[in-house]
Amino acid sequence: MDGDSSTTDASQLGITGEYMTGSHFVLQSQDDEGDEGLNDHEDGNGSKDNLREQDIYLPIANVARIMKNGIPQTGKIAKDAKECVQECVSEFISFITSEASERCHQEKRKTINGEDILFAMSTLGFDMYVEPLKLYLQKFREAMKGEKGISTVTVTEGMGEELTDESFTNPLPAGIITADGQQQNVMVYTTSYQQIPGVQQLQFS
Amino acid sequence: MKSSPDVSCINQDALFLTTKATELFVQHLALSSYKNGSGKGTNTLSYSDLARAAEESETFQFLTDILPKKILARDYLKSLEEMDKDDDNL
Repeated sequence: MDGDSSTTDASQLGITGEYMTGSHFVLQSQDDEGDEGLNDHEDGNGSKDNLREQDIYLPIANVARIMKNGIPQTGKIAKDAKECVQECVSEFISFITSEASERCHQEKRKTINGEDILFAMSTLGFDMYVEPLKLYLQKFREAMKGEKGISTVTVTEGMGEELTDESFTNPLPAGIITADGQQQNVMVYTTSYQQIPGVQQLQFS
Repeated sequence: MKSSPDVSCINQDALFLTTKATELFVQHLALSSYKNGSGKGTNTLSYSDLARAAEESETFQFLTDILPKKILARDYLKSLEEMDKDDDNL
């Protein structure tokens, strides 16, 4: 970015160090509007003492856009309503995650999977989401498989070309060696795989 | 998601589902609240619509803590006074 050393100075960029790196800076004077105990007890990341607003909420523009999609075209949304839904969203995510996590622990598994999330939702009264979500998940999985398929095809094609290269180059040196004593049989190794008889003769004229 | 306590690893499917569910949730909440408000003739979704939706709908009950209904400070002080009067009467 800039050549200045000041770019590493978080205060000049207007954001706190812990947001940038999570490990080098700990700003203690940061006042965190009482964020309900999210801050101090982060596991596995001891230097992250205070979470900023951007860490605990999803971006408001995205939230506002989705809200607009949900209501009829002519509707408007008050600013405090947008902020409020932002908080609701974070609350919703925590709610679902903790329910799914609890179930995971009960079954002695460490990783939360899709089934846990769907179960949590129907338990918490969001069962109307479950069916559409299953459809979305199916589409998502197909899309992922499609991507993986494409990348494997390109790899094999590349290898195929390399093999043909090798299969052509290997016999040629042997040909040249044996033909050393006889002028007529010297082969010119060109970039094309075809041997061009005319070229051979020209060499020794 | 990881800021919730005791959550270690999250599968990619789970992440995708949560994202999509969040989107559906936002639309659902916005629409329910909007329906509450539009009866009064404005088409603006306001905070009080959301608070009402949280209280009235069972699905959105978990939001009542973060969506308290707002009252004017004046009214609050009045109700405090009335409570004091009741105590005096007893």
